[in-house]
Amino acid sequence: MARHPDTDLVPYLRGELPPAERERVARHLEECPDCKQDTELLRDLLGDLAQAIGQPPMVNWARYRAELREKLEARRGQLAWWRRPMPLALSAGLAGILLVVAVWGGREVSKSPDPLGPDEAVIGRELGLLQEFQTVERLDLLEDLEVIRNLEGLASERQG
Amino acid sequence: MEPSDEALCERVARRDEAAFDLLVSRYQERAYRLAWSILRNAEDARDLSQDAFIRLYESAGSFRGRSKFSTWFYRILVNLCLDHKRKHKWWNLWVRDDNDDRADTILDRQPAPVNDPVDKLSREQMLKELGSAVDRLAPRQRAAVLLRVQEDMATYDIARVLKCSEATVRVHLHRALATLKKTVEKR
Repeated sequence: MARHPDTDLVPYLRGELPPAERERVARHLEECPDCKQDTELLRDLLGDLAQAIGQPPMVNWARYRAELREKLEARRGQLAWWRRPMPLALSAGLAGILLVVAVWGGREVSKSPDPLGPDEAVIGRELGLLQEFQTVERLDLLEDLEVIRNLEGLASERQG
Repeated sequence: MEPSDEALCERVARRDEAAFDLLVSRYQERAYRLAWSILRNAEDARDLSQDAFIRLYESAGSFRGRSKFSTWFYRILVNLCLDHKRKHKWWNLWVRDDNDDRADTILDRQPAPVNDPVDKLSREQMLKELGSAVDRLAPRQRAAVLLRVQEDMATYDIARVLKCSEATVRVHLHRALATLKKTVEKR
């Protein structure tokens, strides 16, 4: 005897098996009293189940639809809040303020005093002058050398 | 001639409010009844069936017509209900509040004592036990049974709703009915 068509019994009872499978199950049921009995029990069980599951409490359908409509409106509101004029204007305003603060703050940072101490800051401001300090310091000497060079030149002119 | 569900769904995708109202009217009772059968709580069934209609409204554009509208819509509904059951699994196992329509607690589900004076239960009692046994089925087995019994859906359509193969649905049904049969045979 072929295997018991356990999982095919419900589709068989509902008449949804293809002809070949239906024929196979029907033949098996003729030969197998256990499966035949199971099929009868299943048929009764499916009939009883519809009653056993019962019916839910009554619902006021007009109220049900009104609640549904409210939920749907609330959902639309949630989804599109950012498209509303007021939040959009507020968001744009806030973004503008942040931009101004960022740009202005950047300028202030570039103008802000040096984080070094006051003495170092003074030195820093005079750095250009300090870099030329040696030249300035030697200025007199250079002038002297020029004079000396000139003097030598003058001396050679005198000899000539 | 009445427009088909599929045609109405297409109109809902174009935000046709009248088409949506008509679909709700057609399916509200079936949706609520199926949700209640899975959840066994009227308030949750009302909420989740309404949520399913909201999902329908928002995702009508994704309905391609490859299956019947009812199959597509039941898939949304059953998924919502099974998700809800999963999230409240442990809570529902131990606590059943006053809103529970079956009003039978975990104690009520225990087998009757052997010295029960009532030797032979009435048919009503048998049906009640059978209903409780349905509640105890695994969620997907229960959904398969409910879709078969309440909605008279074919195996092919149940498979589409539960997103599984027809063979899996047959196994779900076979196992569920074998369990339920034992409940009846115990009597």
